[in-house]
Amino acid sequence: MNSYQQYIRNFCIIAHIDHGKSTLADRIIENTGLVSHREMKEQFLDNMELERERGITIKLQTTRLVYKAKNGHEYIFNLIDTPGHVDFTYEVSRSLAACEGAILIVDATQGVEAQTLANVYLALDEDLEILPVINKIDLASARPEEAILEIEDIIGIDAHGAPLISAKEGIGIEEVLEAIVERIPAPTGDAGGKLKALIFDSYYDNYRGVVIYTRVFNGKIKKGDMIRLMNTKKKYEVTEVGVYSPGPMPVSELSAGNVGYVCASIKQVADARVGDTITLDSDPTEEAMPGYKKVQPMVFCGIYPAGNEKYENVKDALEKLQVNDAAFLFEPETSTALGFGFRCGFLGLLHMEIIVERLEREFDLGIITTSPSVIYKVVMNDGSEEMIQNPSNLPSLIEIDHIQEPIVKADIMLPKEYVGSIMEICQDRRGKLLHMEYITETRVSLHYEMPLNEVIYDFFDALKSKTRGYGSLDYEFIRYEKSNVVKLDILLNKELVDAFSMIVHESKAYYRGRFVCEKLKEIIPPHQFEVPIQASIGQKVIARETVKAYRKDVLAKCYGGDISRKRKLLEKQKEGKKRMRQFGSVEVPQEAFTAVLKYDENK
Amino acid sequence: MMRTNKNDAPRKALGLYLHIPFCIRKCNYCDFLSFSGIPQDEQKAYFRSLLHEMKVYHEIYSNKYYVDSIFIGGGTPSLADEGLIRELLTAVRDDFTVAPDVEISIETNPKTLTKNKLNTYMEAGINRLSIGAQSFDDELLSTLGRAHSTADFFMNYSLARECGFRNINIDLMFAIPGQTMKTWIDTLEKAIGLEPEHISFYSLQLEEGTPFFSMSEEGSLKMVEDELDRDMYHGGVKLLKNTGYQHYEISNAAKEGYSCRHNLKYWSMEDYLGLGLGAHSFMDGIRFSNGTDLKGYGNIGHVDAFPTRDSFMQWEHRNTEEESISEYLFTGLRKIRGIDLADFSKRFGADLESVYGETLDKHLRSGLIQIESGRLRFTKKGIDLSNTVLADFV
Repeated sequence: MNSYQQYIRNFCIIAHIDHGKSTLADRIIENTGLVSHREMKEQFLDNMELERERGITIKLQTTRLVYKAKNGHEYIFNLIDTPGHVDFTYEVSRSLAACEGAILIVDATQGVEAQTLANVYLALDEDLEILPVINKIDLASARPEEAILEIEDIIGIDAHGAPLISAKEGIGIEEVLEAIVERIPAPTGDAGGKLKALIFDSYYDNYRGVVIYTRVFNGKIKKGDMIRLMNTKKKYEVTEVGVYSPGPMPVSELSAGNVGYVCASIKQVADARVGDTITLDSDPTEEAMPGYKKVQPMVFCGIYPAGNEKYENVKDALEKLQVNDAAFLFEPETSTALGFGFRCGFLGLLHMEIIVERLEREFDLGIITTSPSVIYKVVMNDGSEEMIQNPSNLPSLIEIDHIQEPIVKADIMLPKEYVGSIMEICQDRRGKLLHMEYITETRVSLHYEMPLNEVIYDFFDALKSKTRGYGSLDYEFIRYEKSNVVKLDILLNKELVDAFSMIVHESKAYYRGRFVCEKLKEIIPPHQFEVPIQASIGQKVIARETVKAYRKDVLAKCYGGDISRKRKLLEKQKEGKKRMRQFGSVEVPQEAFTAVLKYDENK
Repeated sequence: MMRTNKNDAPRKALGLYLHIPFCIRKCNYCDFLSFSGIPQDEQKAYFRSLLHEMKVYHEIYSNKYYVDSIFIGGGTPSLADEGLIRELLTAVRDDFTVAPDVEISIETNPKTLTKNKLNTYMEAGINRLSIGAQSFDDELLSTLGRAHSTADFFMNYSLARECGFRNINIDLMFAIPGQTMKTWIDTLEKAIGLEPEHISFYSLQLEEGTPFFSMSEEGSLKMVEDELDRDMYHGGVKLLKNTGYQHYEISNAAKEGYSCRHNLKYWSMEDYLGLGLGAHSFMDGIRFSNGTDLKGYGNIGHVDAFPTRDSFMQWEHRNTEEESISEYLFTGLRKIRGIDLADFSKRFGADLESVYGETLDKHLRSGLIQIESGRLRFTKKGIDLSNTVLADFV
C-alpha cells in the first residue's frame, strides 16, 4: 500500500427505496464540512427532478469528501452513489466494484427487503466490507433489534454494534463516519504500475463531452495521456482529470486507489461504457477489469408523437437522452395507426417509465407509448432464428416452427400474510415456484421462474397493491424457453390498430382480449356511429364490445345572451377532441394506450 | 335605421335585457342566477340599483341607439311588485329612444299573475307574455320542484287573454325524469290547443350544482335516455309544424310573425344591453357582463351616489375577428334557417369555405350540415349533434 492510500476510503451506500440512502448521503456530506448545510439542496446526490420526486436514484453521482477523524488524521472519502432499482443491477455491480466497502442501510421499521438483499449479494461478490446501519430509529414503529436479527439471519454478517441512526434527525452520523474509517479497508494498487482504471459511470456534458467516473486500480492517469478503452478498443486523449467536491475540480493526476473523473472529448456515453477498463495506449495493462457486460435492453415499446407533437422534437429528445444512457436504444419505426415514431429498448419497465416521464416532463413532449414487449426468439421452419420485439413484425404462423420467450428468476420478499395472494398472482402469471423460505418469523422470500412477458405488464403494480407496498421484487434473465404465445390484435370499427397488438400466452389471450375490449369501451367516447371493438387471434375474434352511437350532443338553453358560457363549453369539447387520436374513422383518447396496460385490482 | 332628428347620425337598434333574479323557490334543475326568499325591501333596493345602472348606460348609448326590444327575464319577474316593473319601463322610456313597434316581453310563472298585475303590465306597454308552464302533468311538475300546478297555469293563461295579451309564449320542458313520450305529446297538444303565438320547448339539462345533479350522481334520479330525448324533440317539432307553427330556432316555434325579436338578436350578433345582476351584453363587438353578488348589486345605489360603469361591470372582452367568426356560426346556426353565406362574406370579408374549408367539408359529408339556396344550416340529425359540429368551429 502506498502511504497516501491509507487515508482514502472508497465506499457506497446500499439501501432499499425509501430506506434513507440519499438522506444519509446528505448527512455524511454535511458532517464532513465540505458543504455547508445552507448550501445543500435536500438529498444532494439525487439531482434529477424525477429522482427527487420518486425518491430513487437513477444516475450515479460521486463525491469526494474530507473527514477529520477522531484519531486526528484527515481522510478522503469517495462516496459513490448507486442506483436503487431492479433494472440497474449491472450499473450497481460496477459501482460496487469501485469500492472497498458498503454501508448497508436497513430501515428499522421495515427490515431487509429483496432489493437490499440483491445488492448486498452483489457487494459480497465484490468482496466488499459491509457496514450495516439501522436507520429511522426515531420513528415510533422502529424495531432495531429485529432489524439487526434479520441482517444476521438473512445476510449472515455480524450486525451487533451496528450504528443506530436517524439520517433525517442527524442522530448517530458521527458513529457512521468513524466506522467508515475504522472498518472499511483502504485501497491498494501500485501507483507506479500500468494504468488500469474502471469506468463505473459516465454522463454527457455539453461543454466537455462525456465525463467518465472512474476508479483507478493501478498506475495513474493525467491530462494529455493517450488512453485506450479496452472493450470498445477506442482511443482518446485525456483533456482533463479531476474530482467532484462537490463541483468538478481539476487535479493534476488520479493515481491508484483514487476515484475521480476523466474527460477525453468522447461524443456519447455509449462509447465509454460502464464496466470498461481505461489503460494507457502506449503501455497497456494485460488484463482488463473483470465483469464487463454490454447491457442489453430487455423491454421494448413504441414511442410516437401525440396530437400535434412534431416527430423531430421527439427524435431530438430521444437523442439527447441516449447520449447519456447507454442502456437506452431507439430506432425509427412506422405504425399504420400511429404514423412515424420510434421503437425503444429499455433495461426494464421502470427504466421505460422513467424515460417516458422525462420525455413528457423535461422535454414537455406529447407522446404515445405502445404496449411494452419483450424479445421473442422465433424459430422458423428452416431452423433459422429471428429476434422479434415488435408484435407487428411477427412472421406469419405458417413459417414459424415455434416461439421462445425469455424467462427470469424472480425473487420476492414480503410479509407472510400476503404469501397466499402473491402466490396466486405468480401462478396466474405462469410462475413456477422454485422454493420458499421464511427469513424471519414474519417475512418470507419466494423464488419463482416466470416469463418476463408476465413481469412487464403489471406484475410490479399488482405486487405493490396486494402487499400494501411491503412486497419487493428483484429479477434476472435466465434463459429462453419454448412457449405457446400468440399475437393478439385489436380492431376498432373492423380496422386493425397495430399499436394495440401484443404477444401473449395462449392461455391468457382470452382474458387479455376481453380486458382490453372492456377498457377501450370505457375510454372511447360515443361516436356518430356504433364502434365495434374486437380482439382477435388471426382471423378468430375472441372478444367483442360495442361503443354505442350517441344520439344527442346539443345545448338547448340560452342563458340570457351569455354567449361566453356557450363558447367555454364548446372550447372544452374541442380541447377534449385534441387529445384524441384518429384511427380510421374512430377517435381514441391518448390515455387508452396506458389504460389498457394498467393493473386493475378488481379483475 | 331610425332618425329622431335630421342632424343626428342614424341610430342602431338595441335589445334591452333586464334581469330580475327573484323566485318563489329554486327549481330542482335550475342553475340560473336567481334567489328565493328575498324580502321586499331588498327587492326595492335591487330595482333602485337597476335604475342607476340604466342611467349609466343612458349616458353612453342613448344617442347612438334606439330600443326595439325589451326582455324582462329572471328568475320570476312577475313575482316582483308590478309597480316596480312599471317604474322600470318608465325609466327606459325616459332614458332611451324606444321604437313605436317595440317588443316588450316579461317572463312569468303561473300562480304569480293577477288581473291587477296583468293590467299594470299592459299599461306599462308590455305586449308579450312568456309563461313558464313546463308541463301539464302535476307529478312531473312536482319532480321538477315547480311552485305551481297545471290548474294554476290554465287559470293564469285565460286571465292573460282576458286582459288583452295577444302575444303569449308557453314555456315547456321535455325529457323530464319519469316523462314518457305520451305525457310529453299530451302536454304539447294541450298547449297547442290554447293557440299561443309562441311555444318554447327545452330539453331538460343536468347542470352542476343543482339538486338534480347531485341526485343523479347518487343514482336517485334517472335522466331520460338520449334516444327518448331525441324522439320527444323530433315528435314535438313535427306536431308543432303540423299545427301551423314555424320551427325557427332549435328550441322555439311561433306562429307567422311571432318569432321572439329579442332572442333572435342573440343568434344574429345584434347589439344587446343587459342590465341587472350577472346580465350579459354585446355592444359594438364587445362582450361584457355584470357581477353576480346580489347584496353587492343592491347596495350600489347606497354606497355610491354616482355609480359608473365599473360599479356594475365585472368582465369585458373585445372579440377578436376569429372569435366573432366562430360566434357568428355557433349563434347563427341555432336558427333553423341557418346563416346567410353572402352575409358572412360581407361581414368578414372572406368566404366561409376559405375559413373553414376542411371542417366544413367533413360535416357536409357526414350529413350534419347542409348548404341550400345560399344558406348553411343543420340537418335534422345535425341539430341533435350540433355541439359536435360547433366545437370544430370555435
